[in-house]
Amino acid sequence: MNVTLPQLRRLLPHRYPILLVDRVLDVVPGEHIATVKAVTCNEPWYADLGDEVTDEELAYPSTLLVESWAQSAGVLAMLTAGGPEALRDKVMLLGSVSGVDFHEPVYPGDVVEHRIGLRRDMGETMIFDGESLVAGRTVVTVTSAVMAFRPAEQLRPEKAGVISGGIPA
Amino acid sequence: MIADVRVRAGLAADGAKWRAEASAQITGDEPVFAGHYPGFPIFPGVCVLECVTRGAELTAPEPGVLRGIESARFLGAVFPGDEIDIDLEWTRRDGDWVCKAGVSVGSRTVGSVRLGYGVGVVA
Repeated sequence: MNVTLPQLRRLLPHRYPILLVDRVLDVVPGEHIATVKAVTCNEPWYADLGDEVTDEELAYPSTLLVESWAQSAGVLAMLTAGGPEALRDKVMLLGSVSGVDFHEPVYPGDVVEHRIGLRRDMGETMIFDGESLVAGRTVVTVTSAVMAFRPAEQLRPEKAGVISGGIPA
Repeated sequence: MIADVRVRAGLAADGAKWRAEASAQITGDEPVFAGHYPGFPIFPGVCVLECVTRGAELTAPEPGVLRGIESARFLGAVFPGDEIDIDLEWTRRDGDWVCKAGVSVGSRTVGSVRLGYGVGVVA
């Protein structure tokens, strides 16, 4: 199915500065998704860099590549579970990741393509695997990631009701 | 980028292992809370992971590059105002290093992480 840019924004609760999926290329709910994240040196993570920098300092933070990949899995999870309306008063959380390997650094100007498969669907918990590529080269592989939708009232009773599937209600 | 990670106890030998402690104060003005999530601030699991990698890099027995996350479990939510404590344990493996970390807020365990660091030239 096709996900437009406005639809993508409604499928993820994340917002600036931690909204790390730019576009959905292809998705089949219950099966797989391909997304794009474009890296630029204008992102806040580079705000404190000085004039003289090393390649290492310009490399995109590995943990944020995982976050971007996991958010893409979140889009697949959201569509598989039936959208924000079906996840009323739930919050999307990353439960765990394992077997994540970083093969090559990613730099500003790179366009990262995340590819994710849904391996197990247990309703409010889903397990994914996949990889990330830049220009056809694999930069990250993920053996397993567990995503969970948890009741908002269990996390923060005083804030319950402001969120639905992670989307502000 | 995020929270100031400080070394609380520098690297100390413990048999074949090396141990260290770090901590980070997660204040309400962390920029990430604006977007995770609006009106419902929760410190993202990968930001906890980022604090662990910073703590690891500040205490590494020798310079290395993060090759992989062998596992990272996010066991409890971290909220504005929490201080996270990171217990690090380094062991050698085939010339490289494995860093195991336990993450807690007060008496509450919030994460458990195992990282692989490579030493020397990286492809």
